Amino acid sequence: MLQTALAGCVLSPAAKAAGAVQGGAGPAEARSAKSLSRPSARGRQDEIVLGVSAAFSGPSQGLGIELYRGASAYFEHVNRAGGVGGRRIVLKTYDDGYQPDPSVQNTRTLMLEDRVFLLFGYVGTPTVTRVLPLLKKFQDENIYLFFPFTGAQPQREPPYGDFAFNLRASYRQETGGLVDNFVRIGRRRIAVFYQADAYGRSGWEGVKRALERHGLDLAGEATYRRGQQFTSSMREQVEILKRGSPDAVICVGSYAACAAFARDAVDFGLEGGSGPGVPMANLSFVGSENLLKLLTDGQEDSRRYTELLVNSQVVPSYHDTSIPAVQEYREMMQRYDPQPPQDLVTEPYTPFPHSFVSLEGFLNAKLMVEILRRVGSDPKRSDLEQAVFSVRNFDLGIGEMVSFGPDRRQGLQSVYYTVVDDDRFVTLDDWEAELG
Amino acid sequence: MKVKKLFRKTLFGVLFLFFLILISTSLLWIRTIDTQLSAEYETNSRSIAKTIADSSVDILLNRDLSALQSLIDQFAEIQSIRYIYITSETGEFLAHTFVPGIPQDILDSEPNSTEAVQRQLPGLGNFVEVGMPILAGMAGTVHVGLDTDLVALKVQRAIGQQNYLISILVVVGFLSSIWFVNLAAKPLGDLLAYAVALARGDAGADGPASKLLERDDEAGHLARLFAHVARSPTASENRPDADSGESAG
Repeated sequence: MLQTALAGCVLSPAAKAAGAVQGGAGPAEARSAKSLSRPSARGRQDEIVLGVSAAFSGPSQGLGIELYRGASAYFEHVNRAGGVGGRRIVLKTYDDGYQPDPSVQNTRTLMLEDRVFLLFGYVGTPTVTRVLPLLKKFQDENIYLFFPFTGAQPQREPPYGDFAFNLRASYRQETGGLVDNFVRIGRRRIAVFYQADAYGRSGWEGVKRALERHGLDLAGEATYRRGQQFTSSMREQVEILKRGSPDAVICVGSYAACAAFARDAVDFGLEGGSGPGVPMANLSFVGSENLLKLLTDGQEDSRRYTELLVNSQVVPSYHDTSIPAVQEYREMMQRYDPQPPQDLVTEPYTPFPHSFVSLEGFLNAKLMVEILRRVGSDPKRSDLEQAVFSVRNFDLGIGEMVSFGPDRRQGLQSVYYTVVDDDRFVTLDDWEAELG
Repeated sequence: MKVKKLFRKTLFGVLFLFFLILISTSLLWIRTIDTQLSAEYETNSRSIAKTIADSSVDILLNRDLSALQSLIDQFAEIQSIRYIYITSETGEFLAHTFVPGIPQDILDSEPNSTEAVQRQLPGLGNFVEVGMPILAGMAGTVHVGLDTDLVALKVQRAIGQQNYLISILVVVGFLSSIWFVNLAAKPLGDLLAYAVALARGDAGADGPASKLLERDDEAGHLARLFAHVARSPTASENRPDADSGESAG
């Protein structure tokens, strides 16, 4: 467990020196899926406690860490300015390692023991899909899950859609956009490489539906088991997909496995119907910077692995400083330099100064604060839903207005596409020129 | 321990009997356990397939395949279940647990069959697959693959443990048999020695002979009978040293 009052979350020495206060209920304690005993830590009167269960360990730890860092930067900013209605925002954080069972256990603890105000910033489809029934069981408690880092359908549709609020676009929107663009530039034989779980199936379904709209079917499919490392061989999967001679492959996985696949696809000569070089598309969940780091670190000629990568994103490019929220994000990331939750992160990890995932975390936090402000000075869980529904045409600062309502539980609809240029992901403007 | 010739065949007979018991019980156990375990696993697989089929109806009607995948992933964690896949009523694969892909053998099979079939999947092993219709087959079929190699492994373990126990019993029984045989053969040996001594005329009533003559069993009776015969005049005349005495005189 890690309880972090973000007026002094796990801050860098510089931020501490800047006057941040080490907060929370006593010393931070790591309580991962491995479990440690921990004290009860119900929110105090001057706090609003948000419960987080995310991947802070394992091959997907980069996602949980970056999402947390982005949110921490904004919460830190708000807490320093006096919090929300005089209450500091506190994150109660657990590690689930991107595994469903620990995620369910953590959620149970957050709801029943920690009695958090709401759940926030969960990571992953296999985890969230298993947590949703728990929310339904305790629906009388009005515990909502806000802005999970997944674009899957279960938290967007009945019977669980009423218990979650999403900010990001869905995987259907991401995969639909990728397929539409590939088909538009003549790449009609599309295959899928996906994680053998709910996340992978969600992406697979999105690709399949989008292809059906064009009267097409999958050119091939191959799976991998969740938790694969970059060192894993994906040769078998490459060989399977080769049989379908795809013009493009859409990868629905985490960064370690997708990087391994991108490497092996090049090394073992995945060639499509359009000749050598098959574009490899990844969804936003992949964690673009983590993916790129694996493919470029220590590689003499990393360009051959990255030149045909095209990643969809659900937030705009953090390089585009003409976007107000991006400016704000970059400034706060620099000012507060949020660190990973140190007691939960036991494996070496070097944070990125900026990333798509941390920008998403930042935007999640920004909207969360707005909703908490709308709940009022005496926040009650039962008022949360109406507070969310009152968000209409709210400007997050990315050029897309956010609205919620009983039939609209997803704030943003836009999908952005990026390619690698000069070892960083930049916005893809011309599909035909780049990948046609 | 020297085994008397008289009982050697008996000992080998005992040993052969033990091995016969070992082999026959093993074969019986293999057949019984294999049949019962396979039946048990198949029943469980059918129950699991039915549970999934019953739970899938709403999910399938909502066309939420990620929730469907999440459901089958939970069941696939059960040890004996090696794979699960769900096909639509039109034969389309909606969700499955195969890595790195769906085996060709399964792609080629009848997608909505509910018969139990034996499968040998290259690189995966041997399976019994059971099928269960969803909404009477109107919404598709759940297929559950039971790992028969796991059943074979369990049978092997059970038989191995049984054979280990019986082998110990065989060794103990064999050694005990030798000991008992020797115990039974000892009076016979004494009797033989006594008879030889009588024949030579140097059998006294002391020492081992006295113990033998005091025995209240067949060996004692025979010893006393030999002694009686030896003391009879006919016996004295026929004694070899008596003959040699006459010829010497």
